[in-house]
Amino acid sequence: MNLPHPEFATTTDDAWVPSACALCYGSCSILAHRVDGVVVKVEGNPDSVVGKGRLCGKGVSGLACHYDPNRLKVPLRRTNPKKGINEDPGWKEISWDEALDEIATVLKRLRADDPRKLLMQRTTTVTASRIPFQTFGTAFGTPNISTSGGGLHCGNGAHLISGIMHASWGIVPDFHYCNYSIYFGASKGHAAGHAANSNMGLSADARARGMKMVVVDPMCNFAAAKASEWVPLRVGTDAALALAMCNVIANELEILDKPYLQAKTNSPYLIGPDKRYVRDPVNEQPLVWDLKENKARPYNEVPSENMALEGKYQVGTVSCQPAFALLREHLKKFTPAWAEEVSTVPAANVRRLATEFATEARVGSTIVIDGVTLPYRPVASIAFRGSQGHMNSAYNFLAADLLNHLVGAADVVGSCLGFNSASLGHPDTNRPYYFPKPGPDGLMTVGMWMGYHTPYPAGEPRMPQKMGLQDLFIMGMTSPFLDSTDQEEFWTKFELPYRPEVLMNFGSNLLLSIANSETVAASLAKYKFMVSFDLYLTETSNFADIVLPDCSYLQSYESRANFPFILSHPAGPGEYSWPIRQAVLPPDGEQRRFTEVLLELSDRVGFRDKLNAAMNMSMNLQAPYQLEGAQKYTHEEICDMDLKCHFGPERGLEWFKEHGLISWKKRPEEVYWRPFADVRVPIYWEFLIPVGEQIAAIAEPRGLKIPREYYEPLPDFLPCLSHCCKKPGFDFSAFYYRDILHTNSYTLENPWLDEAAQLDPYSYAIAINADAARGKGLKDGELVWVETETGRKVKGRIKLTRAIHPEGLGIAACAGHWAEGMPVAKGKGVMFNDLLELDWAHVSPVNLNLDLCVRVKVTSAEQRQ
Amino acid sequence: MKWGMVIDLKRCIGCYGCQLSCKAEHGTPPGVFFARVLKCEEGEYPSVRQVFLPVLCNHCEDAPCVDTCPTGASFKWADGTVDVDHDKCVGCRTCMMACPYGQRYYNDGDAHYFPKGTTAYEEKMVVRHQRNVVMKCNFCRDRVQAGKLPACVANCPTTARIFGDLDDPLSEVSRLIKDRGGFPLHPELGTKPSVYYLPP
Repeated sequence: MNLPHPEFATTTDDAWVPSACALCYGSCSILAHRVDGVVVKVEGNPDSVVGKGRLCGKGVSGLACHYDPNRLKVPLRRTNPKKGINEDPGWKEISWDEALDEIATVLKRLRADDPRKLLMQRTTTVTASRIPFQTFGTAFGTPNISTSGGGLHCGNGAHLISGIMHASWGIVPDFHYCNYSIYFGASKGHAAGHAANSNMGLSADARARGMKMVVVDPMCNFAAAKASEWVPLRVGTDAALALAMCNVIANELEILDKPYLQAKTNSPYLIGPDKRYVRDPVNEQPLVWDLKENKARPYNEVPSENMALEGKYQVGTVSCQPAFALLREHLKKFTPAWAEEVSTVPAANVRRLATEFATEARVGSTIVIDGVTLPYRPVASIAFRGSQGHMNSAYNFLAADLLNHLVGAADVVGSCLGFNSASLGHPDTNRPYYFPKPGPDGLMTVGMWMGYHTPYPAGEPRMPQKMGLQDLFIMGMTSPFLDSTDQEEFWTKFELPYRPEVLMNFGSNLLLSIANSETVAASLAKYKFMVSFDLYLTETSNFADIVLPDCSYLQSYESRANFPFILSHPAGPGEYSWPIRQAVLPPDGEQRRFTEVLLELSDRVGFRDKLNAAMNMSMNLQAPYQLEGAQKYTHEEICDMDLKCHFGPERGLEWFKEHGLISWKKRPEEVYWRPFADVRVPIYWEFLIPVGEQIAAIAEPRGLKIPREYYEPLPDFLPCLSHCCKKPGFDFSAFYYRDILHTNSYTLENPWLDEAAQLDPYSYAIAINADAARGKGLKDGELVWVETETGRKVKGRIKLTRAIHPEGLGIAACAGHWAEGMPVAKGKGVMFNDLLELDWAHVSPVNLNLDLCVRVKVTSAEQRQ
Repeated sequence: MKWGMVIDLKRCIGCYGCQLSCKAEHGTPPGVFFARVLKCEEGEYPSVRQVFLPVLCNHCEDAPCVDTCPTGASFKWADGTVDVDHDKCVGCRTCMMACPYGQRYYNDGDAHYFPKGTTAYEEKMVVRHQRNVVMKCNFCRDRVQAGKLPACVANCPTTARIFGDLDDPLSEVSRLIKDRGGFPLHPELGTKPSVYYLPP
């Protein structure tokens, strides 16, 4: 129990403290009500645009996480050297001094030997852990910095393509003005996702206003339940539907925003027979066909309205066509009848949806916002985790986004928006400032990013230095090779010059959040030394050598609860809010904030100077608020400098402790930045060809075939392994989905959320189409085995539902815990991830995204009479 | 003056924010809810959807729970709110049988969620509840008296819950019921609920 503490409580203690939630990366602004040293309520903070004073079910339940008696309170050291799922670590309590001594000794030795042998691994849940973990890794000298699981959790396709096409981490409809949205495997505004809670209010307003919402999803839950129309489809075939819609729009309806395509995309760039840009022989810029001059000229010398989108041209000896002409021709093969065969969506519906979308786009129209005349395209095609969690990750997402670009519905009023792609800063300081800008060939580079490499320009593939091989597979972000069955084979094949030895983990439960636990356990057991900062003893902390008791969000300070805005800040018009997180309660027992521990470790190992430099860079700290030399700052002092640097000397941490946040109005040119940015985006991914060739040049001599169909410049439908399974009896495609109660943190250990989930018909069950189940003689509530072709299986009770595709099998959340340290979570729900293989064969060969659908058979696990 | 609530099923996304913010506000023990979210399905594949139905005490004008209470513990305030005087409740649970909506709970279980015992929060918020009495929603009477909205209304992320005076024809609740065809649950029972739903 947390007792009152002089620093935090007096005999008349009764305070409402502004801070930030951390039950998911939405990090909504909260007010914590503390009475006599006990937090008795957490409510939303109405002063902040992040949540606007309201919280989701998870957010209001945060207290039950904080006060969990299973929270760790002292550092622990394992006494059993053997590591395995069934091995008891034999925890022994140790002092912080002992713990940090041992960790520092290991890290010193490792840094002298080869710093690349360190993997820094953190959860995405605490957005503010990004900078402390990334800067620690960078300053230490390791390129191995990973965010949560390489499997189900993250979206290599969604983030990559949102970055390239919208300069942001994700996309969302402009809820204020959008009239017609189509969601492909996304729940924006209805359960999880970025700015989840804020979007719930915005999407409800939009639906109430009359925004039509079409939801393409194998299961009718959350977003689909609120949709004007649910479009069930075969799992993982989103690209087939989206490409057929693109075909109808481009070739049948011919409703196209040509001025947008000319001015804001690479549609006019001339493409030669080698599928590459035809370039100016002198300045090497891509050429376009100037219809006025009737000759090829560099794209940056021709008024966009004179650029040809159609036709065949001759440039010297080269026959070429504008990229758009190739796209249009390419789309012709995706007929609605073909799409029906692949996705099961009736051809007539494909045509109707395409017509509705294109018509509602109102191509050519404008609207005045705050005195500024802007393009008005009130349609948005949105995709996220579900549609891009497949072998065809990149094209599934790109195909959905292409709908926006055909009609010019990208970052203009009413359209598909990147989350806060541009910020001109607070009016007093003009900080934080970032804006999308042109990169090589005039294509857009992001103004703000979250780490890894920026999505464009793509780096040059090389022999890998990273254990995840992301420097070879440069379109990837999270990587399966951190844990895969074939990691050693790939490291050997690509001559990785070291092997990882030490893992520092912050809050990730890798064993549950990537793929099958057997594979992940084998990889974790290989580390010579593992440290884990945790709230509880999880399945993953049981593989650690030392576990450090972390502080909860109600005991922590962060200067950047919601920055970068591209992740968890609500998009669209309104305000920017910059809230902090602050401690409402003191640490309990010997709990320490991970931020302070990392700083102390940098001192003990002896690289505080490099850490200070990395933080200056990462946080863009400018004089006089730069961290100096090897000076020892506390985390709170660093927060103070960060805040003063961004908002002026009078607005340091003390000011923010009192006010909680600072807000300012967004300007139209920030929200609808596209017309104001001199950037183009690729409807033709020309750069993917050399990327594929360069990877192949390294991989193929070493025996790894690179399937070039994934590196084509125009999107295609490429089937998942599950689509190719012909084995009798394997009739279902199992897929994971994010439950509204159980997403993005240790919600299963929260007894309030667990109680609600136990009463929910779906949360802990396996959702199966009622008719399909009855056809197999299965009844509602029956205990079943779900088994893959490779023999992996999970057991659970089925929920017969009419709201799921006949071939789909929906399983929610990262459930199925078995750790004794999380007794509430233990045994609840079904561990979907245990069905997933983790190797090269099951990831997208272009961005390494793990395929989340798996072909299964379902059989009764009950004794029948 | 008659307090009432409108729940807009078009806005509600079944997020459980009401159920859990109610629990957080009142510190209700395990198994006791003053607000819940039910889920069901309507239609046949593919013209089917999940339906989310938030429920709470309907604060009926003709409340069977009040009529049947042998001790007068269940009673109505002048503003129409149905409440329970726990000092008078003997835990006979007649009211629970009488309530056609199943919105009353008997507090005879643990006052803590974790097997290890009560937390600091529970010591303050859960243990204070009288044991072996019937508990239910009272439209957050303390909050409303203090000029605030009921916790579930104030917190609803989609603004699906609206609270106000049903006797005032110009109040938002009255206008919404009139304009959008608000309906109570099971009107055929004649209990005259003060909680109305707007169609999805």
